[in-house]
Amino acid sequence: MADIIDKKALEHLAELARLKLTLQEETKLLKDLQNILAHFDSLKGLDTSNVAPLTGGTMLQNSFREDEERESTNAGKGVENFPENQQGFLKVPKVFEH
Amino acid sequence: MKSPLHTLTIKKVHEGLLNKEFSALELTQACFEHIRKTDPEIKAFLSLREEAASREAERVDLALAKEEEIATLAGIPLAVKDNMNFEGEITTAASKILETHRASYNATVISKLKTEQAVFLGKTNMDDSAMGSSTENSAFQVTKNPHDLTRVPGGSSGGSAAAVASHMAIGGLGSDTGGSIRQPAAFCGVVGLKPTYGTVSRSGLIAMASSLDQIGPITKTAEDAALLFNAIRGKDPLDATSTNPSNEEKYEAELLNPSFDRIKKMRVGLPQEYFIDGLASEVKKGVEEAIQKIKKLGLEVQEISLPHTKYAVPCYYLIVPAEVSSNLARYDGIRWQGTKERVEANTLKERYFQTRGEGFGPEPKRRIILGTFVLSSGYYDAYYDKAQRVRALIKQDFENAFEKVDVILTPVTPTSPFKIGEKVDDPLAMYLEDIFTLPLNLAGLPGLSLPVRNQACEPLSTDLPVGFQLIGKPFHEPDILGLGRLYEETT
Repeated sequence: MADIIDKKALEHLAELARLKLTLQEETKLLKDLQNILAHFDSLKGLDTSNVAPLTGGTMLQNSFREDEERESTNAGKGVENFPENQQGFLKVPKVFEH
Repeated sequence: MKSPLHTLTIKKVHEGLLNKEFSALELTQACFEHIRKTDPEIKAFLSLREEAASREAERVDLALAKEEEIATLAGIPLAVKDNMNFEGEITTAASKILETHRASYNATVISKLKTEQAVFLGKTNMDDSAMGSSTENSAFQVTKNPHDLTRVPGGSSGGSAAAVASHMAIGGLGSDTGGSIRQPAAFCGVVGLKPTYGTVSRSGLIAMASSLDQIGPITKTAEDAALLFNAIRGKDPLDATSTNPSNEEKYEAELLNPSFDRIKKMRVGLPQEYFIDGLASEVKKGVEEAIQKIKKLGLEVQEISLPHTKYAVPCYYLIVPAEVSSNLARYDGIRWQGTKERVEANTLKERYFQTRGEGFGPEPKRRIILGTFVLSSGYYDAYYDKAQRVRALIKQDFENAFEKVDVILTPVTPTSPFKIGEKVDDPLAMYLEDIFTLPLNLAGLPGLSLPVRNQACEPLSTDLPVGFQLIGKPFHEPDILGLGRLYEETT
């Protein structure tokens, strides 16, 4: 079968997924993805035109909790994990370059 | 001769504590002593908390001394898979990208077990971000199968399964997205339960594929699995997919005290699609042995068909990477550092690329790329939408089958435990490991992995364990656990 993912497409996907890949990783990934996608071809022969997609694991609907005031169990937590913080706020690198 | 304390079951420990045959502290110390002897070889644990665990045990002893009532799980030393948040402890999911992550809150399952006064020995090894079937994908260490140190314990909950099988822990917690509790349980000769989707809260579980992930127990017996499962299940406002069974009282009664008369009247289905040519002879032999024993117990056994079984692996490996690519988008090196060595970056984008490139192992990377691909414009309909439709067909197969039978019996794995290194470079071969377990996750059904012959009490025996799987209707855990108990007690 035609290779659906080539090197250029892989680089584009890595860009979208914000993943830095080494040349070695790219080579291995290309081979793996082509094998895996070829395996998925078996689905093509199956007629699913009259089947509604199953989008999740649960049949529950409107799983709401009571709309009431409550104390957050997690307020102020996680700050100790921040690599950089300024007065308890998360410090991040520049978002816009200019 | 009395059995050494660390080889006991949850049930026996609870009785022993109530009868004051030993203290919770003695038991915890016996576990740590055994861990010190055994774990350097097995490598099941990523972290241990001997001091804190001893204090937890002492509190149980104090309650007992004051004649206070204690919960069933009180004083039970447990091993917890390292993808469940434990406040104040490093929680890594065996991934480099979480290597410095200290959990800031408890997973709901941990809170529930803390309320029961369970004792937490430490966190166990797993495949990186729960992706894998051998625990070889861990960023930190390779866990060995206690029955043969040259073989894998299965995965991704391989650390918990190996810890329970080698008696380092009395019970353990795992998580199962496509077989990650049941397959390692089968490989290690212990019991593993993947509950119905929604029965156990995932709040505080490091998410892999949210429409499939469930937490469940890994134990030495089916009775213990029922006890541990009962302690962690229930609706939780922090997980909107969690729910209670429709008749809570009846459910709990049957879970804890199954009526064997009722169990013996159940009809058992054998799906022809699961007894394929590729099934290893030792697995085939083992599962046939289990079927014969179940027939002897008086249950009616009949052949059934689950016609879409052959589509389950491609369906699953389309849906999972799609969910992975979105769940793992949060790991970006911003709110915690990610890798131990902070990556050099001047801009935000650079930080994302560097952290994720350094922090994710090969399998998470493969799934992120694959998931990004199947969700991308132009391929969404051909792959992701198609897989969701096939998922509906797979679920329908089970619904049809459960009109004829009450329980379905299958193998857990196509082979017995494979050699370390044998499949690690071939992702497709690893994916096919889950062929008999992942259809249940797609359909949301409960599954119990049970050893054909209980070998939990024979660590380091040379006989490789074989497991079989009992599949139940949704919210029918009492059926499969009840049959499991009947099987254990009569064989």
